[in-house]
Amino acid sequence: MLRTFSRAVSSAVRVSTTSMSSTPALHPLTRSVLYSPNSGTTRPFTRSLWMMSSNGAASGYRPKLFSSKGRSPVSCECVSLHTEGDKAFGDFLSDEMKEEKKVQKSKTVPKMSGGWELEQNGTEAKLIRKLSGEKVTVTFNINNSVPPNFEEEAEQVQGQKSAESEPDVVSTPNFVVEVTKPAAKHSLVFDCHYPEDEVSHGEGEEESDIFSIRQVSFQPEGDGEWKETSYTLNTDALDWALYDHLMDFLADRGVDNTFADELMELSTAMEHQEYIKFLDDLSGFIKCN
Amino acid sequence: MGVVLRNLQNVVPLRRARLRKDVETLRHILGIQKFDLGVICVDNRKIQRINNIYRKKNMPTDVLSFPFYEELRPGKLPCPLYRDELNLGDIFLGVEYVMKQCQQQSQDLHGILTSVTAHGICHLLGYRHETEEEWKEMLQKESYILNEFNRFTGRQLVPLTKKCSQDG
Repeated sequence: MLRTFSRAVSSAVRVSTTSMSSTPALHPLTRSVLYSPNSGTTRPFTRSLWMMSSNGAASGYRPKLFSSKGRSPVSCECVSLHTEGDKAFGDFLSDEMKEEKKVQKSKTVPKMSGGWELEQNGTEAKLIRKLSGEKVTVTFNINNSVPPNFEEEAEQVQGQKSAESEPDVVSTPNFVVEVTKPAAKHSLVFDCHYPEDEVSHGEGEEESDIFSIRQVSFQPEGDGEWKETSYTLNTDALDWALYDHLMDFLADRGVDNTFADELMELSTAMEHQEYIKFLDDLSGFIKCN
Repeated sequence: MGVVLRNLQNVVPLRRARLRKDVETLRHILGIQKFDLGVICVDNRKIQRINNIYRKKNMPTDVLSFPFYEELRPGKLPCPLYRDELNLGDIFLGVEYVMKQCQQQSQDLHGILTSVTAHGICHLLGYRHETEEEWKEMLQKESYILNEFNRFTGRQLVPLTKKCSQDG
């Protein structure tokens, strides 16, 4: 829940600072901004910010952020804006970071078994393995890799909120497997994902494979543009025997259920790391350094 | 119609295509190609949980069958009126349990999995082994299926029902 609040807050602050000059209408919460893609600077304000910054409904306290005259200047020698809301936000972020670091399993990400080398470039990671002349590269991005957990969040809203009942945040990124044979012009590329009902939230009955292949295509070898004119095999309506052969092909190259489970753990750890780093950067940006 | 194959475990390295091919051969022998069939491969933890929930036996086992038609006469194929009913049910294969048995007895995992699946399909078709008479009938059916299978494939599979007295 803390992460939910903090993500909502980060969106809301951008709205409030851009709307300062307009007539301040306090719009009730209409929707969560948790996973709103590319919403730029005009994101709906969230109730979460009220709850975070209010001293209580009866106090009459209103964050000066929303008052047309209400900026409380903080004496500071830098030229940027500092408000009481910013201070509250900064304090909140400090607490949030402390909590997140407490639940962080390890400062380093887990190692994959099977001899995979990890290369990380921001939120994108590559796992590379060479065997018998073939090169296998698995690429994934931790952005937007945590599916919302509506059932458990509903339980939280009903008053069962506690540190112990925080739902596990699991990252299940889509991933792309490229298999390149020596001296080949093209790689065989598999677009894979974790079917939604396979992410275990307790002891529910999973019915799907741990991971699935969605599409298969030949693409030019190397980091080139995706060639849209290459035929792409979609597995939705594929012969099941062919699908099983493709899965066996991947398993022979180390991309099997064990790999998929470990990739989930790796991605979850990376996502958590990046989230904490983001909170830290956000805190630094807000505070007067 | 087809076989829905799922691999929900990561303990046993499974050859999906090989298992599917063997299951298709079994379906052909039994004449049940028009019926859907689910084959789900699970580990000990999961099969033990299912065994406990549905049979009150808190231990892993090799196979659990969930027939779509619960009151079939053994060997009598259903005659459904609707397309949706062209389904025999689901078989959960305890692949980890089977693998451990194979390791102890130096047997081929996928061969035994096929025998186990044949046993599971017989259950979906109404066969039981709770009385001696039922056991004999089921053994006879399994023997027929696997003899035909061995004839087609050149392999040497044997019925699971022989070992039914130790069913988990």
